[in-house]
Amino acid sequence: MQTIQARNGRSPLAAIAVAAVAGFLIVGGFGCSKKTVQSGGDVRSSEAGAAKAGGGIGGGDTRAGDTGGSGTPGGGMAGSGTPGGGVGGVSPSFPDTTIASHSQRGQEPATEGLRGLDSVAEGKSPAGERLGSGGTVVAKAEPGSAARHIEEMRREQAATAAAGLKDVFFAFDSWTITEDGRQALISDADWIKANGSANVKIEGHCDERGTQAYNLVLGEKRAKAVRNYLVELGVAANRLSVVSYGKERPFCRDHAESCYQQNRRGHIVVRSK
Amino acid sequence: MRRLLIFFSCISVLGGVGVIVDSRATDVFLEATRPDFQKIPIAVWHFQNGAGPVQHGGRIEQVLKADLRRSLVFSLMDLPSLGIKVADVAPPEKAILKQAADNGVSVVVWGKAGFKEGDKDAEVVMDGFVYDAGNDDVVGGKRYVGSSTVVRLMAHRFADELVFRYTGEPGIARTKIAYVSEQGAARELFVMDYDGYEPKQITADGFLNLMPRWSPDRRFLVFTAYRNRNTQDIDMIELATGKRWTLVALPGLNITPAFSPDGNFLAFATSQDGNSEIYTLDTRSKKFQRLTVNAGGDLSPSWSTTGRELVFTSDRGGAPQLYLMGADGSNVRRLTFEGDYNAAPAWSPRGNWIAYVCRTQKKEYKLCLITPDGQKRVQLTSGPGVDDSPSWSPDGRHVVFSSTADGKSQIYMINADGKDLERLTFVGTHNSAPAWSPAS
Repeated sequence: MQTIQARNGRSPLAAIAVAAVAGFLIVGGFGCSKKTVQSGGDVRSSEAGAAKAGGGIGGGDTRAGDTGGSGTPGGGMAGSGTPGGGVGGVSPSFPDTTIASHSQRGQEPATEGLRGLDSVAEGKSPAGERLGSGGTVVAKAEPGSAARHIEEMRREQAATAAAGLKDVFFAFDSWTITEDGRQALISDADWIKANGSANVKIEGHCDERGTQAYNLVLGEKRAKAVRNYLVELGVAANRLSVVSYGKERPFCRDHAESCYQQNRRGHIVVRSK
Repeated sequence: MRRLLIFFSCISVLGGVGVIVDSRATDVFLEATRPDFQKIPIAVWHFQNGAGPVQHGGRIEQVLKADLRRSLVFSLMDLPSLGIKVADVAPPEKAILKQAADNGVSVVVWGKAGFKEGDKDAEVVMDGFVYDAGNDDVVGGKRYVGSSTVVRLMAHRFADELVFRYTGEPGIARTKIAYVSEQGAARELFVMDYDGYEPKQITADGFLNLMPRWSPDRRFLVFTAYRNRNTQDIDMIELATGKRWTLVALPGLNITPAFSPDGNFLAFATSQDGNSEIYTLDTRSKKFQRLTVNAGGDLSPSWSTTGRELVFTSDRGGAPQLYLMGADGSNVRRLTFEGDYNAAPAWSPRGNWIAYVCRTQKKEYKLCLITPDGQKRVQLTSGPGVDDSPSWSPDGRHVVFSSTADGKSQIYMINADGKDLERLTFVGTHNSAPAWSPAS
């Protein structure tokens, strides 16, 4: 729980900012809110964010919650989730990645391993060079890992279906909540407010057109537009989390508009406890 | 005759230039190296199969020929089409070599491969010889010894030795491509040889791992990891050990990491400030520096060869476009002005081109190239399907990318002059986000 709050960045200052923006939107009415939502779904001031970047996000305990039980292949999570000493979300101890470190360690330059052709006497063989397998470790699949994700998703889906939560669909290239979307979210907000113990995740999804990278940003804009509208409707911001899956988890895989419109989605999910 | 051959190879280089979008750019010469570069005519004489039941000689000959063709340093000559009959004898007779030289062939290689005789572990031995037609002598050779699992590597190393001998460059035949492959409901990192062979699974988290990039020393991959389905981190994995570290776990999206050429900085995008902004992480001090400050989404940073500049995607003007800035965030200026969707830039290791995804007038997502000064722009790919994630070979002569041209997303490579489109992945429901390793 602590993790969720930290990840969503609800510092007291940010919470005030959310309340202030929400209040402004309510005063300003829906015509204004639409514009604000399209402008990126930001509720935090950039000043607060910049201060965080320099000062860290509260040490390693934010990571510890995330890594706990999430499973790592090969058991090699050295340095991650280390409590204390974390600098702004970064693992305090990861190995040297600089090229300069190579010359210090006496390792080979760019033509590593190439020794040039050997001279060959008439009728003789060249000097031998023994080749190893190259040294890439193949991941050991954690048997339970994929199954655990699938099981948790199944539970989330069941809880979401039982709650009757409705998804929001978007136009191409757009993160503006449509009139249909507003109606869906009014109904969703009623359920969330009536079920005070439930936490809700908003997943942003995109169709297959465009780049993977930009669709992750677009998916986040969609998810945040949904979150902001739910907050406008009176849902407490700290009960809502957002995540973008871009175009990586499509609902439908055909290369057709009928499919694309299914994938341009703000998917509302009741989070498993 | 020889002059004639060189003339023809020039024509073939020019003839492959992609669709020229910018009418001002009619004189663009797209050979990715020096414009006066002449390919070296090379021929591969029949590789003999040595001791043992496996046809290792034939296999190595096949891999070597493909490597030499892809090197773009050599022009692979076909001996039979020059009227030279290839027979199962090695070395080829002097008369044959003279005939090849008379037909413009500069270099002839031959060899043999088979199990080491009397070796109960059945190690493979490959001998390769290089003949310089101009000097009528064996220039040198290589002998490789190893298990039967490294037979392809023997051919790759021999090809790179040839490239190294004639250009001083390390070659690309031993490079790797990291990518994402769908495994059941999950997407995991894989690494394969640059020619699509020998795929190896790197992660097995069971959910989503996205968009890998190499460290400049090839020891590590950095990537976006969804550890618990609700949050994204930037992780690093060591390929030799499988050890893993979390580098960036800021609130919100943490995506598109990219190491600077010296490995001193990791540029990435995070949405901890509300919208996506580009930061760097100093890998020595572990300190963050914010580079972009605006209300739009900034992402996909790619470093210039010198490490002094970055090209990135931003939708600060409404639609995504490419921008340039200094590595400290200074001197931001827009690079692309044509079209309403330009994203996923990749700066060539030679510095002369930036590859990216452009949306065409037909609303297709294709690859384009633009010079860093914005003066020349060409469309590199065409046809159906969404092309994505261009990544340069370390020699700057090829681009690897994903495309849905054949239905499902698969990985392809293409020369920087628009020729020799080659599909690399054939198995699975989804392969994407290729990242070409630095040279070794």
